[in-house]
Amino acid sequence: MSPGAGKPAARARAVACARGAAPWLLMAALALALLGVDYAFGKATLVATYAIAGLGVVVVVGQAGQIALGQAAMVALGAYAQAVLVGHGLPALLALPLAAAVGALGGALASLPARRLGGLYFGMSTLAFALIAEEALVRWESLTHGAAGMAVGAFTVAGWRADSSLAQALVSAAALGLALFACARLCASRHGRAWRAVRDDEVAAAACGIDPDRVRMQAFVVGGALSGLAGGLYAHWIGFISPEQFGLAFSFELLMLAFIGGARRLAGAVWGALVIVAIPQAIALLRDVLPGDWARAAGLELLLFGAVIVAVVLLRPAGLAGGEVPRPRRPEA
Amino acid sequence: MLAFVQVLTSGIAIGCVYGLVALSFVLIYKATETVSFMQGDLLMLGAFAALGLHAWAGWPLAAAAVAAVMAVALLGAALERVALRRALGRPHLVAVLLSFGLGMMMRGGVASVPAAAQDMHRLPFAADTIALGPLVLATSHLWVVAATLLLAALLAVFFRYTRTGLALRACSEDARSAALMGVPVARMHTLAWTLGAALAAIAGLLLAPVTFVHLNMGLIALKAFPAAVLGGLTSLPGALVAGIFLGVAEALAGLVLPEGAKDVVPYLLLMLALLLFPHGLGGSRGTRGRA
Repeated sequence: MSPGAGKPAARARAVACARGAAPWLLMAALALALLGVDYAFGKATLVATYAIAGLGVVVVVGQAGQIALGQAAMVALGAYAQAVLVGHGLPALLALPLAAAVGALGGALASLPARRLGGLYFGMSTLAFALIAEEALVRWESLTHGAAGMAVGAFTVAGWRADSSLAQALVSAAALGLALFACARLCASRHGRAWRAVRDDEVAAAACGIDPDRVRMQAFVVGGALSGLAGGLYAHWIGFISPEQFGLAFSFELLMLAFIGGARRLAGAVWGALVIVAIPQAIALLRDVLPGDWARAAGLELLLFGAVIVAVVLLRPAGLAGGEVPRPRRPEA
Repeated sequence: MLAFVQVLTSGIAIGCVYGLVALSFVLIYKATETVSFMQGDLLMLGAFAALGLHAWAGWPLAAAAVAAVMAVALLGAALERVALRRALGRPHLVAVLLSFGLGMMMRGGVASVPAAAQDMHRLPFAADTIALGPLVLATSHLWVVAATLLLAALLAVFFRYTRTGLALRACSEDARSAALMGVPVARMHTLAWTLGAALAAIAGLLLAPVTFVHLNMGLIALKAFPAAVLGGLTSLPGALVAGIFLGVAEALAGLVLPEGAKDVVPYLLLMLALLLFPHGLGGSRGTRGRA
């Protein structure tokens, strides 16, 4: 008799785990075989980093039910914090928590003006914060080198440099694993329950002794920290950061990531990141297939990306990872 | 003093454009509870449509302008029927993403036309200046202000005295009661998007002589969000007045603040307003703003 047979629950969980992991392993093997090792690891790094940033949106949008239109600013703050700190000689591993902290601070500042209003006002204040932050990064030249951008060195830990694509993929996968684990623990705790309570019914949550203002802001702080962490890693992988990389388009890419993956579940961030990273590749492939002038048109990429957003919103309203369709919005009290 | 007055008039003119776009946003938001992120793209499309009809198809400018506004209005109605209707009653995020995606498709569509994508274009009207004594004013700025005043008056009459305008207002106040009173709510939603798209297109035409016609002229619509919030999000006159206020504030900030600070002034004011006057300068606490 196998040692696990005495614990059917544990065994069932292990089976479910294996079943969950199987498609991932299959996909990873397929990607390696089709794309070549170096390229596949490069893309895996990008997927994992995007997934961490998207996890921030998933927490705010999917768990706490609020709207964040400027999440790219938190990624930018994390990236610049990391670049500046590492540039001043701080070890990268020590700088990462600080980058996350700067992102968290950004999340708090962005959500502060709307904390009592909620709803669409969070969208407005985060959008305004992102536009202010982008301009500030351009103008604060002594720290950020303005629009010219900053170069960032490789990720190093105690003499080991993560400059091969495999090492980068491993570091970002480890960070993603940690972030997912921390998020899962957080969502299972009373904080996570409070987020979902506020998302589903603010008045009922308040009646249960939950302070909706504080809970919403917590979600923005946690979301900002996650996106800031992703920014810190992203700065190393990309090697060069400039303010316009983190514009409004990136904010919407992150929103779309959460939406495509399904914001209700944490795993949605990973699925969404996979799709978001794959779309430009698919468009590049399509460009080769399309005839003549059409393929060279500058607007084709925008057109197709927009079409993907519209199609996903109309056809898969609950995202690819499924879950129930969100309830209709409650009328304003 | 002269410089001050000139900066003030250009601020008012740009503010009128902000106000018109904010007006279109609030009109849609009030009537359908959906957030439109494509007003800037509709604005750009309106300007390009007029440009195309005038410069390439050879229509007279006035006819081209009217046709462009009508075409964009029709596009708004069609998009509501086909796609935006599906966002009704769903979380705000759905409408935000949907309209952003549609806006991206419009931008991509215009950028795919090689002649349009390349550089700045101009519509040949209102390019000269008027001298009032020592004061020199751009005709384009006066056009914007005059057209905005006219539009505001027309809208006020429409909402106050016509059956359709009253029905649209009723629908914004309380869709369920309006439906019970026999107001065709679905048709009112289409009308709101049609009007919103037309207003954005008109704003594009008015902006054309000021900033020229180019692919990213729709970015100006981002400034309409602070204007809408400052106006209380549900007040049409509030949105227009807040837009003009922001335009003036921005222009004056350009006089005293260092380079680049001017562009973030509306957003800083938005954050401040949310902190200090959470119901907007136009809305009143507790009750929803009236049209």
